[in-house]
Amino acid sequence: MFRTTILRSAARAAAVIRPVVVSRVAIGAVAPRVAIRAAAPKAAAWQAVRCYSAAGGLDKKDVYERIKALLSGFDKVNDPSNITETAHFANDLGLDSLDTVEVVMAIEEEFSIEIPDKDADTIHSVEKAVEYIVSQPDAN
Amino acid sequence: MALQAYRHLLRAARIAFEGDVRVLDAARQSIRQGFRDKATLPASDPSIPPAIQHAEEVASFLRANLVQGKKEEGDMYKLRIHKDTERGDNDTIKLGNQDIKMDGKTCCSS
Repeated sequence: MFRTTILRSAARAAAVIRPVVVSRVAIGAVAPRVAIRAAAPKAAAWQAVRCYSAAGGLDKKDVYERIKALLSGFDKVNDPSNITETAHFANDLGLDSLDTVEVVMAIEEEFSIEIPDKDADTIHSVEKAVEYIVSQPDAN
Repeated sequence: MALQAYRHLLRAARIAFEGDVRVLDAARQSIRQGFRDKATLPASDPSIPPAIQHAEEVASFLRANLVQGKKEEGDMYKLRIHKDTERGDNDTIKLGNQDIKMDGKTCCSS
């Protein structure tokens, strides 16, 4: 039973993109296996390790899907079918600069972060927005 | 410039009217309208810098000088004072009944 749990958590850890997290999980998963074989009561400690290491960043695809959903609810977008991963807010979606500010603010709310002015000014396309969100550890 | 003012204003409204969807929507609508009205002016129009300044001032007012009150039982109102709310240090209260000159700079320090 423990072995299946370990395999399952390892598979889940492999799906996490960040290499740092993966290596930490790998170390955590291998070492306690020996401990469990030695003494069964250690299982609780092993659980704690697994929970601790389960922090996963945001997936690029998820971020895109959420931004897409947000944009398709925005009535100024000329045509929801124009929303692609590389769409430019002004050139492809027909938004002006004021709308762009609003979209960036909405993205802030969606991922519960605050984007500083100088970064917010550089976000002009879906691609840039996704890139920025993925690079933010606080985004969720 | 104008875009930054727009962002500051929207952000200030979000802080000031947090949790009050109806007022927040109305505030956003009026901010949007205000900027749209002037959006077609040429960049060199003399009325633009004062308008931007006005927007920035409104933003800082919303952020610092406005608190939401919620009615509790009876006549009690609970104020939501957040980290940006301007707070005086109440130093004037220690001076008793003296005449206090408020010029905004040197009050209470001498």
